[in-house]
Amino acid sequence: MWTGEGEGKVLYVHTHGVDDPGRCATPFFLAAAAAASDCEVAIYFTMYGPTLLQTDVVDKIGPKGDRGQPLAYFIDQARGVGVRFLVCQPSLELNDLALEDLIDDVEMIGGAAFNDLAIEADAVVSF
Amino acid sequence: MAESDTPAEVVDCVGMQCPLPVIKIAQAIKGLDAGQLLELLATDPGIEPDMHAWTRRTKNELVGITKDGEVFHVLVRKAG
Repeated sequence: MWTGEGEGKVLYVHTHGVDDPGRCATPFFLAAAAAASDCEVAIYFTMYGPTLLQTDVVDKIGPKGDRGQPLAYFIDQARGVGVRFLVCQPSLELNDLALEDLIDDVEMIGGAAFNDLAIEADAVVSF
Repeated sequence: MAESDTPAEVVDCVGMQCPLPVIKIAQAIKGLDAGQLLELLATDPGIEPDMHAWTRRTKNELVGITKDGEVFHVLVRKAG
């Protein structure tokens, strides 16, 4: 799953969802900083995390509510430097979502792939 | 390529917060040749440890960091 093209591999795990907007953005900008430092970076959205990737949500919530940047800003920042977004089917089902409800280019993986990514990563950072 | 003391590019990140200076310098240095200097201007108070970490990870050379008022001037030489 890792290409090995970066100088390091960092896997972020994002478990917070739309009900906790204050915790929504930090994993994206830490991931962006890692990717800008020549690391290969992915964020795995599990538990409530996939709710943050809904197309009709990203412009409506942000870490500071109506003040500051919306979540879409942080998502675009991370994607702009090559951060990959991963989800798994059970987490989509937990939140009554389908891959079609999410923004483009979210990759579906399973538990075995997640564990393999974690074992092969240089760091796993969980939120 | 001969090394010059004059920055080939200046990246102005004054007023920007983490992680934007890191992202901007990462994008800008791609356009430079090995050995060329890049100057980053930033007011983010965390820029000094960030630039030490960033240059260590990317193998670029941190030539120096000076502070002029609120503005940090970070000089980085692109790795060969």
